[in-house]
Amino acid sequence: MASIDLIREFLQDRLGAEPEKVVPHALLADLGVDSLMMLELMFEFEDRFGIKLVRNLKTPRTVGEMAALMDGLIARQKT
Amino acid sequence: MDQRRVAVTGIGLVSPYGGDLPDFFARLVAGESAIRHLLNDDLPRPLSIPFVGCPGFDPDAVLGKPLAAMMDRFAQLGVAAAFAAWDDCGLPRMPDGESRDGWGVTWGTALGGTLAFEKGYRELWQKGRERLSPLTVVLGMNNAANAHISIQLGLGGVSMSHTVACASSAIAIGEAFRRVRSGEATVMVSGGSDVPQAYAVVRAWEALRVLAPGDAETSPAACRPFAADRRGLVLGEGGAALVLEDWDHALARGARIHGEIIGYGTTCDHTHLVRPEVSGQTRALAATLADAGLAPADIDYVNAHGTATAEGDPVEIAALAAVFGGRAAQLPVSASKSMHGHLLGAAGAIEAIATVLALREQVIPPTINLAGNLDPACAGVDHVTSARRDRPLRAALSNSFAFGGSNAALAFRAVVR
Repeated sequence: MASIDLIREFLQDRLGAEPEKVVPHALLADLGVDSLMMLELMFEFEDRFGIKLVRNLKTPRTVGEMAALMDGLIARQKT
Repeated sequence: MDQRRVAVTGIGLVSPYGGDLPDFFARLVAGESAIRHLLNDDLPRPLSIPFVGCPGFDPDAVLGKPLAAMMDRFAQLGVAAAFAAWDDCGLPRMPDGESRDGWGVTWGTALGGTLAFEKGYRELWQKGRERLSPLTVVLGMNNAANAHISIQLGLGGVSMSHTVACASSAIAIGEAFRRVRSGEATVMVSGGSDVPQAYAVVRAWEALRVLAPGDAETSPAACRPFAADRRGLVLGEGGAALVLEDWDHALARGARIHGEIIGYGTTCDHTHLVRPEVSGQTRALAATLADAGLAPADIDYVNAHGTATAEGDPVEIAALAAVFGGRAAQLPVSASKSMHGHLLGAAGAIEAIATVLALREQVIPPTINLAGNLDPACAGVDHVTSARRDRPLRAALSNSFAFGGSNAALAFRAVVR
């Protein structure tokens, strides 16, 4: 599954966010993602892709930043 | 010190019958059991017990999905009950000009977010996973319910949980009452919620040999307080809440006053963890009457702790006999647990609601499964076995006696309308 789809699915499931609002330029905070929910999202991400995020990860602000971060880590995982 | 009168202006619960508050009380008065057989597909062995559940409770619908996702079921039930009580008291959900900085929450729960941690154990031990959701901490903490209630209603004063086994929410309500009476808080939300159907929790209660047996057919009549053939208590999940308010504040805003809370007393047996003691309960009842400024003759109804255990029921009757003396034989007593089961940390709150509504509606709900079946060891009071409306009800007590030896009683007075 593409990262953006996972984010979309997660935000719909957990926060009831409408999928069409989960677009790259949308701010995660505006979609209802606070610091706790960010941790949960990271956890879900680690779980789904079987990776371990570094502890000092820069917290993404937008859906696009989050997706890019995830894509990068997945690519690195595969190599 | 100048003491305030304390009004009950809000009542709310997640009803074990699935309906609203009037429906809940109507069914209690009608003597209808909410107890059903719980049979699940739990691993490694299914749970199979009489139980009181809230299967129709839809947290997403009541709380909204984002809020519900941040809570374990005990907090969901608690916040839903608190919302219902708050809406009932007629105040808006968020502050509208009047400061709520001194308003607060005291909340009873025996088990807190045990289910959240049990889910963690299942993930780690059954499913072989290595890590848990980071939300587990905030879902599982005992003060999750009161914290969410404070946030959702904008209450800036005290916010704390009380964990005192089966007396948790009676003590929470008593402590809230004292804060309003002293003038420390103008409004307090108080109550309790619990979810005892965690696998290990039920197995532990079974091991203690105090759970009543029952199947699909017999479960509705499984809980028989004071009866000769009583077999034990019936666990239940639920949430129940009251809004306690400074009397003058309630009058000034034209709030509906359901009843008045006038006394609270709590003691410890200080003798044994689980064997109840007449003297400890007697002291709690006497302290509550004294706190309320009442004599035994002023009490027209007692909602008993009455769990239907072999040991507990006769001790409670002996304590009532000791306090009410020659009048005990005419003292109307009933155990609504015979219908709504034992909600542990929510028990004191749901029974406080039953007591306030008995006074407001001037009708005593019965102990079911008791008529013609009284244990002689539990004789000595006027057991109410079918709804009774024959006398005016001026004041009433609600008893809660916990493992650990903690005893609490609350006193309420009817408001003449």
